[in-house]
Formats: sequence, structure tokens, C-alpha cells
Amino acid sequence: MGMFNWFLSRQNKVEKTQEELAEIRRSFASRYNQFRLLIQANTRAHELVAELEEALRGFKPYGMHYIQALCTRISTSIYQMIKHLNELNPESYSELFVVFDDIQNNIQAHIEPKSYVQTRELIVDIHDVGRDQADLCGPKMAMLGEVGNKLNLPISSGFVITTESFHRFMKKSGLIEEIDRQIQGADLDSREAMFQTSSKVMQLIIESSFPDDLAEAILQAYDSLCVTFGMQVKLAVRSSALGEDIEGTAFAGQYRSVLNVGREFLLSACKEVMASKYSQQAMAYRINRGIKDENVAVCVGCMVMVDAHASGVAYSRSPVNIRDENISIHSVWGLPKAVVDGSAETDEFLVSRVPDLHIISRQIAEKTEKYICGVGEGICRMPLIESDRNAPSLTDGQVLCIAMEVLRIEEYFGLPQDVEWAMTEDGQFHLLQCRPLLQVEQDMVLASKNSSLPAPYLSGGRNASPGVGCGSVFIVRKDADILLFPDGAVLVIKQALSSMAPLLGRCSAVISEQGGVAGHLANVAREFGVPALFGVKGAQSHLTNGQTITVDADGRTVYDGLVEALFNKKPRKRIMRGSPVQATLRDAARHIVRLNLTDSDSLNFKPEQCRTLHDIMRFCHEMAVREMFEFGTNDAFAQAASRQLICNVPKQFWVLNLDDGIDPKGEDRADHCVLLEHVNSIPMRAVFKGMDAVPWEGPPPVHPRGLMSVMFEATINPDLNPAGPSRFTQKNYFMVSKNYCSLQSRFGFHFCGVEALVSDRITENYASFQFKGGAANLKRRILRARFVGDILSEFDFKIRVREDNMSARLEGLDQAGMEYRLNILGYLMTHTRQLDMIMTDQVEVERRKTKFFQDFKLFNPKKIEVS
Amino acid sequence: MISIKVLLVDDEQNFLCTLNKRLSKRGMIVEVAGSGEEALEKLESFVADVVLLDVKMGGMDGLTALYLIKQKWPLVEVMMLTGHARVEVALRGLELGAFDYLMKPVDFKDLLYKLEDASMRKAYQEEKILARKRNKQKIEQSPTVY
Repeated sequence: MGMFNWFLSRQNKVEKTQEELAEIRRSFASRYNQFRLLIQANTRAHELVAELEEALRGFKPYGMHYIQALCTRISTSIYQMIKHLNELNPESYSELFVVFDDIQNNIQAHIEPKSYVQTRELIVDIHDVGRDQADLCGPKMAMLGEVGNKLNLPISSGFVITTESFHRFMKKSGLIEEIDRQIQGADLDSREAMFQTSSKVMQLIIESSFPDDLAEAILQAYDSLCVTFGMQVKLAVRSSALGEDIEGTAFAGQYRSVLNVGREFLLSACKEVMASKYSQQAMAYRINRGIKDENVAVCVGCMVMVDAHASGVAYSRSPVNIRDENISIHSVWGLPKAVVDGSAETDEFLVSRVPDLHIISRQIAEKTEKYICGVGEGICRMPLIESDRNAPSLTDGQVLCIAMEVLRIEEYFGLPQDVEWAMTEDGQFHLLQCRPLLQVEQDMVLASKNSSLPAPYLSGGRNASPGVGCGSVFIVRKDADILLFPDGAVLVIKQALSSMAPLLGRCSAVISEQGGVAGHLANVAREFGVPALFGVKGAQSHLTNGQTITVDADGRTVYDGLVEALFNKKPRKRIMRGSPVQATLRDAARHIVRLNLTDSDSLNFKPEQCRTLHDIMRFCHEMAVREMFEFGTNDAFAQAASRQLICNVPKQFWVLNLDDGIDPKGEDRADHCVLLEHVNSIPMRAVFKGMDAVPWEGPPPVHPRGLMSVMFEATINPDLNPAGPSRFTQKNYFMVSKNYCSLQSRFGFHFCGVEALVSDRITENYASFQFKGGAANLKRRILRARFVGDILSEFDFKIRVREDNMSARLEGLDQAGMEYRLNILGYLMTHTRQLDMIMTDQVEVERRKTKFFQDFKLFNPKKIEVS
Repeated sequence: MISIKVLLVDDEQNFLCTLNKRLSKRGMIVEVAGSGEEALEKLESFVADVVLLDVKMGGMDGLTALYLIKQKWPLVEVMMLTGHARVEVALRGLELGAFDYLMKPVDFKDLLYKLEDASMRKAYQEEKILARKRNKQKIEQSPTVY
């Protein structure tokens, strides 16, 4: 500040030299640059808070990484504002840092990941596992152990690699930090980025090695299994994920299983299963469901392979119709892979539970091949011999046996069950895994022949997920097509493969030529509430890309075009509602969003009163504007920077040049005035054009009651003083630079503020407008605030009205778009003066509004002024 | 406008390479370093306006590098870039004088603006110091002021 004092003392003695004036100009420019950075941060913070509010509404899926990144961005912007304000005036605002720290700590407490600090077993024998071990072994393995031990159902021998092991592995050498870094850096809205991130992260996990003691423990457990069996056993390595079903989220089974694994590949198979926590499906699922990554651990069940003669999935009730209590059994020859991943047609048996168990239908599919254990590791596909192709894969006796065991499990847990089973050659039932069945409430069962419906385009198949969806056809033939899938299209596929699951959040319906109700994709479709019709023969050849169709999964019919009769209005689902992620965001948002410091004239407008980051933001912005003004009108410099505006005649407006807002020709004038044509500020010229376009009609004819209201208000409201508390508001000052302008003014009894930045950096452009007060009673003032807000919302402004205080904000338009809006703001500043008086007169209000919109036509949004 | 001199510091070669190309195309003078240590070495000979610094690298971490750069070349603007949002790192970095804290993926246009802003700020800071020096000289030359 030394330089300024020097000028100050010099100023009285000698006229300023050109060189000295240049110095002054430079110091203005440097301050303005500081100020500009502050308002940039302000704009960013505004956008981020708006983004946070949108996230709170819960329509769009997001995860904890998003929240952490968003909160960090907000805090960073606010901190920068404090820093810039302190550089504008190093003496007065250090208190803000303290306030910021407090608020920041509050936010951090909510969004910081929790760490796990238990020391527990790394490996547990499946025969020692029961429902109490769900936290250690994941619910899937815990249930399997429970049923095996309590119901004496045959389950394979084996062991579980626990959550403790999982966390130990992830924490090893910063693996989890690296994973988080990868995820945070990715734009998860983009499929391609999601795909790449997922494969990068999985690769990372698979390439890391287990901690030595863990690797040793796993191999030891394997070896002792071999000792028990007296041979080198092969294992099924399956996931048992923990943390998915907090808040009633059913497990989606989107994790990897590796079958027929021996000692050599056991460790890598385990890592592969753990890595599937970050499969594209699992990540998309968590994001869609608001499940925190940190809460999900993937335990691994290593079970001795069952040499299945036939196998499959059984539901103890219908997953798509709650009132249907029949047991359905889906079965294939060999291993159950084709049933689970939906890659082939399966036999389906329906069993009624009353009066006694009996089979009510058999649908025998044409089966061309089966999966069996390979000689070495892994599984292989084998063509079926002719006689097996059309033969049922289960005998009636086996069907009833499975149905009975499924009922026992349902009875034991008291919930409908989804059971994966196998039959060995000797006709012995084996339980592979079980979980609660996710049932979907069907909205309505359509009257079978609704005459108002058009002729079906395709029909048949099975209702894999109920509902009706409409969209344009998109046929996915190969994996690469997935990347091109347009939002809201109808997914048309040959096989109901689980690799399609990531698309379910974005499609309006699914049609598959093959695949059953028991497959993974069907499960996920039901969870997402996406209608799905499976087993529609020839769908890919009958449908063409881009064709609009309506899929009625309940009616098992596809219609050409949109069939509105099938839609009873369903509101858009708030998918994040009630999720733990959303709850976390809400907790953090309490310290961010709410604005308490609304009145900048109030005594409470000070740092200690800031309770949220929004308060700090508001405070910093207001103070920065004041600092710029105080500096610019400081006695020594006033003449250098501030001038009365002349537009034909001298106006009651002064222009304070912050940097490059006045042409050098204007600066040369000696009389402290400036001609409008010498004002080089893009936003100010736009505002002024609006203010000056149409002469003001003058004060509205006040009706007696209106006048009474003014006089009454003036006597009880000490704030109603046309002259404000600081010099800033006594005169109407435009603070300008080439790209910026701020005008705060009192017209009579009401306060108006407009601020804008307009440059070729479109993302930084904004216009904000504040409007409050008036002379009439509160009711009329509120009416006027809403009146102005309503008008501005038609021009894309975001409006907030609190009592008689209206604020409007608009961001991110190009120069022409911004200028047009500023014309309108200027116009409203002139023409809403004293309108509060007539606000209860409907006819007059309408007349004004019509005239306003008529006048707006003067401002052509297309034309760009050359400045 | 004079071209901005940027030092990119990141241990991801791909990222360095692509960004180098894109910034050079915009007329910036770009140097790259694969670690904090290398960055400090480069700065001895390359007079950068802005350093774009990855926060998490092998070897010297970003905050340490930032601190050392600001110690030795206080006028150089440092912009932190990270793939992993850590609010405590962000705030500590700003405290240490970083110009901004950006998160990957960063929009290229926004990055350009930031680099421009950072170099502009550096120019103003340099001018301020120059002015102070000039001022001092004047006071010394004209004792009549007192």
C-alpha cells in the first residue's frame, strides 16, 4: 500500500504526471484482476451449489466419489473467494478463515470414508458359517452355511475368504487410494469412460498380489480340503458381497464366479472375484442405487465343484406376480451357467403348492449344448446328443424334490427364495446358493382384449420384468454397439446376457430373443423397473433400428409406434431417494446450501454470522464489491476513476471505471463526466440500453389506499429512507470494466442491483439481479417481487423469492444472449419503479405486463452490438 | 498476447503427452516433467509462468513440490491437478499459494482459461513489485516529499 500513501501525500502538492496516472491505472487493473478472480470463483460456487441441489432431488444417480468431488469443488471455490477478498483488503476479513474451518469440519465429518478396524479371521470353514456371520462372510455365504447346517441340506464343502481379508488386501500398498483416484477422475456419465475405468481398476486389482499371510492362508485351506477328499479338488469360486442390501437393496448377483478352479489358479480366481466389485455392472448398479463403494466388500466362497447332471434356478414364487404362489424351476443339462447368464433357452417347470405339490406345466426347450467341467481348469461347452436335445432335463420326481427343498428354505427364512441348485447323476439334490427373491409389484393386469389397442406387431415371449415402455429400437449385436446405445431406446438383443446390465439404467424397455425370467439380466431389469420381454423369437430381424415401438411386457406384446392407451401416468422415479449416499449428501448439504445472510444492510451481515458456505460466498461477494467501490471513490482517486454519465444530457448515474471500462478519449475529459459512447463496458451498455429504451410512464396513479399504505409504512419502517447507509447507494454508480458491470441503486423506495460479466468465455458469463423493498405494504411488495420474478423466469433466469426480496441469476450464455437479457433487466429497473402501489389491481397489472412484453420486442436477441 | 510458458508435471506419460501437444498447438511454450524432483530441476533453466502439478505422484508428493517451488520461485503460479478429490489437500495447497485446484477430468477449455488467468496474475504481481521498486527509487531521489 506504500505507493498509494505516497500518491495521497503527493496529490495535494503537484498535478499528477502521465507516469503517475499510468501507475494508478495499473494498480486499478491489478485490483480488478483480483476482483475478477473472486467473481469467477463466485460463479463457479453458484453453479456447484445448484448442482448439489439438483443431486439432492435424487433423479440422477451418483455415488460417494461424486459427493466427495462436488463438496471439494465447492469448498475450494469458497476458500478462493476468502483468499481473494483478503488480498483486496488484508486487514478486515481474516475472521472468515476461522468460520470457514468450522463449517468445513462439519462437512468433512459426513463425507469422510469410514475405516474398518476389526481384527478377525481371514478364512472360515463353510460348516462353521451361519446367519450370524453375515458381516464376516457376506449374506450369500452366511445363508448357505445356515441352511446347510440347520436344515441339513447338502451343500458343498469349502471355505469363505472374509471381509477382513478383502479389506486387508485393498488397504495393501495404497490399492484403495489408487482405485478411488481412478474412479474420481472418470466421468461416470459417459459409458466409455465408465467402461475404461472399470477395466483399469479391475486390472489393477488382479495385478496386485495378496498380502503374504493371506495368500498362505488361502492355499492352506485348499490343501486341507484336498486332504479331506483325498484328491486334488476343483472349486467353484463365488462372490458373496456385503453391504449391498442396506436399506433393502436386494443383491443383484452382478459379481463374477469362476468355476472349476484348482490350486494353480486359485489366488488369481479369488482376485478376479474381488475385482468384480468394480465391474461395469456393479459400479453402475451402486451409482444407480446410491450405495457407497466403501460399504461394499466382496467375500469369496470357495466351494468344491458339484458334478452336475442337470442344474438351474428355482423361484419359490413368481418374481413378477406377487399373487402367483407357484414354484417355478428353470433347468438345463450340465452346469447352470446358461440359466444364470440368460444365454440359452431353458426348461421351465411350474409346481403348484396346493393341495399337495404337483406339476402344473412343463415347457421343454430345444437345448443344443451344455456346460461341463473341463478336464483341466474352467468349464467347457459341449454339444448335446440328439436324444437329450428335446428331452426334459429333469424327471418329474426330481422336479418335485427340488420344489420341496425350495419350500423348506422359504419356510425357514420366512421369505420367498431364489435358489440355485444342482442334481448329480445319482439324483441327489445339491444347494449351490440361495437368496431372498426380489418380487415386483405389477401395477395392473390388463384386460386381455382391449379393443382400443392397435394390432400387435410382435407377440409372445415371457414377462421378465413387468411394465410398459416406449422408445426407438436399438439392436445390439456386438459389444461395441453398447457404446453407441442412445438414452431412452428400446434394447433389442439376441441373448439376455448380463453384460447388458449397465444399459438398463438408460433404456426404456428390453426385448430379448432368448433368456429366461431367472437370468441375471431379468433380475436387474426388475430392480430398475425396466419392462422386459424375453423369448421373443426373431425380434432382431423383425425390428429395425430407429423404429418407434411400445413394449408391453405384461401383455407380452410389441406394438408399432407409441400406444398411449397403455400408459397410465407414472411419475419419474427418484432413484436416489432413501439411499445412504443421498442421506450423506443431505447431511453435508446442511452446512452448504442454506443462505442465512440475506440482508446486506443488516447488522448481522458479518463473518461470525456465516453458518453455511453459501453465507460465506454471499458475504465475500458483497464485501468485494464494496471494497472495489471504496477503493475507486477514495478521495485521492475519485477523480481518476469516477465520472457522471452523459447520454444527450447528464444523467443521475455515475460511472466508476475499474480497469478498462472507459475509452482513453473519455478519460481525457477534464470535467469528470463521460459520454455514453466512451463507455466501453459490454454489460453496462446493454443494461443502460434497456433502461433508456422507453421513457418511464411516471409514478402510477396511486389510489388512496395505496398512498395511505406508503405513509403508514414510512412511519413504522426506519429503513425506508431513500438514501441508503453508504455513499455507494446515495448515488447510482455503475462500476465497470470492459466485461463487467455492477449497478446498485435505489429508485425511490426500492433497491435494485444488477451485476454481469460478459466476455467470450461463455462458461464464465452471468447476470444477476436483485430486487427488494418498496413503499407499499409487505403484501404488495411481495406481489411485485413475484411479478418481476415471473417475467424473468420466462427469460431463463433462475428465481428465488423470499418475502419482498427477489433474486434472479442466469449463467453461461454467449454475448448476444447475455446482452438481450441485460436489456430486459435494464428495462425492468426503469419500469417497475413504484409498481408495488398498484399490485392489487389485477387489470392494471395485466396491462403493464402486456406492455412490457410488447416493449421487449425492441431488443433483438440476434443482433450483436459492435463495441 | 505473449505465449504462456507452462511446465506440466505428472507421472502419467499419456496424459503429459496429449496435453503437451494440445497446449503447444495453442501457442503455449510447454515443458514436461515426470516427477516433483524433475520439475524442480527443470525450473532452474526453464522460466515458467505456470506449473500444472499433479498432486499424487510417485516420489516427491505434489504438496511438497508445490511448497518447494513457491519457496524458490514465489512468483510462479502453480495449479494443482488431481484425480482424487481430497479436500484437505486442496485447501492446504491453496494455503501454500497454489492458484487453483483442478480435478480430472478437466475440460480443456476451462484449463486454457485457468492457465491464462494464472499467467495474467503472475504478470500483475511482477508489475506490482516493479512499481514498488520504482517508487522506492523515486522517494529516495526526491526528499521534498517528506
